[in-house]
Amino acid sequence: MDVESAAVESQAPKFALPVDSEHKATEFRLFSVAAPHMRAFHLSWISFFCCFVSSFAAPPLLPIIRDNLNLTATDIGNAGIASVTGAVFARLAMGTACDLFGPRLASASLILLTAPAVYFTSIASSSISFLLVRFFTGFSLATFVSTQFWMSSMFSAPVVGTANGVSGGWGNLGGGATQLIMPLVFALIVNIGAVEFTAWRIAFFIPALFQMLSAFAVLTLGQDLPDGNFKKLQKSGDKEKDKFSKVFYHGITNYRGWILALTYGYCFGVELTIDNIIAEYFYDRFNLKLHTAGIIAASSGLANLFARPGGGIISDAVAKRFGMRGRLWALWLVQTLGGLFCILLGRVDSLSASIVVLIVFSVFVQTACGLTFGVVPFVSRRSLGVISGMTGGGGNVGAVLTQLIFFKGSKYSKETGITLMGIMIICCTLPIMLIYFPQWGGMFCGPSQNISSEEDYYLSEWNSQEREKGLHQGSLKFAENCRAERGKVKGFNSDEAQSTNIE
Amino acid sequence: MESRLFVALLLLCLAAESCYGGVLFSSLPRTLEITASPQQGQVLRAGEDRITVSWGFNQSVQASDESYKRVKVSLCYAPVSQVDRGWRKTVDNLSKDKTCQFTIVERAYDASVRNHIYEWMIEKDVPEATYFVRVYAYNSAGEEVAFGQTTDVKKKSDLFEIRGISGRHLSLEIASVCFSAFSVASLFGFFLIEKSKAKGFSKN
Repeated sequence: MDVESAAVESQAPKFALPVDSEHKATEFRLFSVAAPHMRAFHLSWISFFCCFVSSFAAPPLLPIIRDNLNLTATDIGNAGIASVTGAVFARLAMGTACDLFGPRLASASLILLTAPAVYFTSIASSSISFLLVRFFTGFSLATFVSTQFWMSSMFSAPVVGTANGVSGGWGNLGGGATQLIMPLVFALIVNIGAVEFTAWRIAFFIPALFQMLSAFAVLTLGQDLPDGNFKKLQKSGDKEKDKFSKVFYHGITNYRGWILALTYGYCFGVELTIDNIIAEYFYDRFNLKLHTAGIIAASSGLANLFARPGGGIISDAVAKRFGMRGRLWALWLVQTLGGLFCILLGRVDSLSASIVVLIVFSVFVQTACGLTFGVVPFVSRRSLGVISGMTGGGGNVGAVLTQLIFFKGSKYSKETGITLMGIMIICCTLPIMLIYFPQWGGMFCGPSQNISSEEDYYLSEWNSQEREKGLHQGSLKFAENCRAERGKVKGFNSDEAQSTNIE
Repeated sequence: MESRLFVALLLLCLAAESCYGGVLFSSLPRTLEITASPQQGQVLRAGEDRITVSWGFNQSVQASDESYKRVKVSLCYAPVSQVDRGWRKTVDNLSKDKTCQFTIVERAYDASVRNHIYEWMIEKDVPEATYFVRVYAYNSAGEEVAFGQTTDVKKKSDLFEIRGISGRHLSLEIASVCFSAFSVASLFGFFLIEKSKAKGFSKN
């Protein structure tokens, strides 16, 4: 027995971090770059950060661009909506691509295929070409899904919320950082001697180049799973190639995915809306300089440094004690509070109060984003990518809808729009109460009376023929590893059920 | 009692006005005459063409130019170029007004010269739009006290267009296309490498 297991062990690679039976890391060490887990983390957040920088590189330079391209306020608004529309379907497609091809190839492909849109922004010459480049650049925001998928593949249940939260948050940071980076790069180029209408064009090469380089890094340094890449594992038989139709079907028929898509639209979607409108809001309402308004806008996005990771950490911490029910309660509570602060933001009259409320509101909303992706990894095992894609896409749908209803044209003043958006957040967060896992319970109900286990839930995604072929092995291991989502309830000790670490 | 209240209110309004530094455009007398070289509807090119402006105090008007200390001639947006563009909005309070964003010339007011002339090369950062020219006179406190403009009160006559530079260069276009092509090509390059690696692995 020992000889056998030793032979198996020598085939299995040694990992720098402690791992579970699926070789997913059970610890999250931020300052390590050890392959494959932490390296995947750093590659994913950096490439996602670059995509965010590219997607929101235009807003801080709009005062120059709008004069060069003779844009009207309507053109600018439409381009803003276009920038977040592309990712709606791109995120769903990305989810499926991750399930089928692995996050490494899927994300690098998208990044390299959207980099041309960023390069072509430099030669935009009209409102239509401007709208088109913003639309196609926005597709790159789908790398969010590959980031979350990759983290969910590399990190085990006790730390998956943290990994998802930190990678998502630090990627989102790009939306804030770009408001500082682009004006700086622009000013530098003008200093060197370029004319303004040429300088902004040259400036766009910076985010484009970084985006391209990050994709190269992902391709050369990353791997899909702790044990290797999809293609290699598929060829060696360690990973079965799944069918698109099955993966897609099991994703879209899971009602929890749809509920999370809706609620994510009212935390992340709201965050994107704020990214697009808040600088103008402060500029107009309080007569600030564009530069100052940009700094305030950036600070809202920069809260992502700790807020979204905080959401992931809170999700994992709450799950230790209360399991999945705790994760759901935390999500509902934080997002509803975000809605309340949003209502307040539209109603405060003074500049300093507005800045404070904006930052508090941003923190709550971004924490809710982190909490959402503490729940997503557990909704489906077979169709993790599709669920991540639906949720991520739902986030963008929320951004499109909110901007269309409240922030297009002059029907509502911006402050009224913000208050109404807050009310909509609270209403659209209520469906979390409907999420129910038979093995763990929901917000108001405990686990199912018929003894339902994690295995029952995850194996229901595979039919008997597939199980005969042994395709469900991955789900089986996952089910075993997430028993801790039951929380510390009477009569059950989660420590006993956790798999032993393989060193 | 009521009159005291009224005076207090008036003083407050005046104080408020000076606090906000807002001279109202509607309060300014049009005592300066100004003409610009472009004809009605003429199209000029930024960075290439020049505008010659000439301005002077209108002697026939019942006013004195004693308080005029500085003069500023600006390029201003015509209403057609302000539509759906809030950043070019005309507001009566001149400290918030965004109609005139480009300075042609600014200098001390010389009452002895009847007609000032200045030739201005249209700068490269002037956007494509329809314009007119306006001149403001300032007192020693830096407040506007008079104005003149090349167009009528409704800002409909004697407007001219400026065509802005595109900012694009051939080198930029070539660089964009090359980098984009490289980006896509490198992706397919990686795919090929991956495929050959996987083949090699399964052969083993």
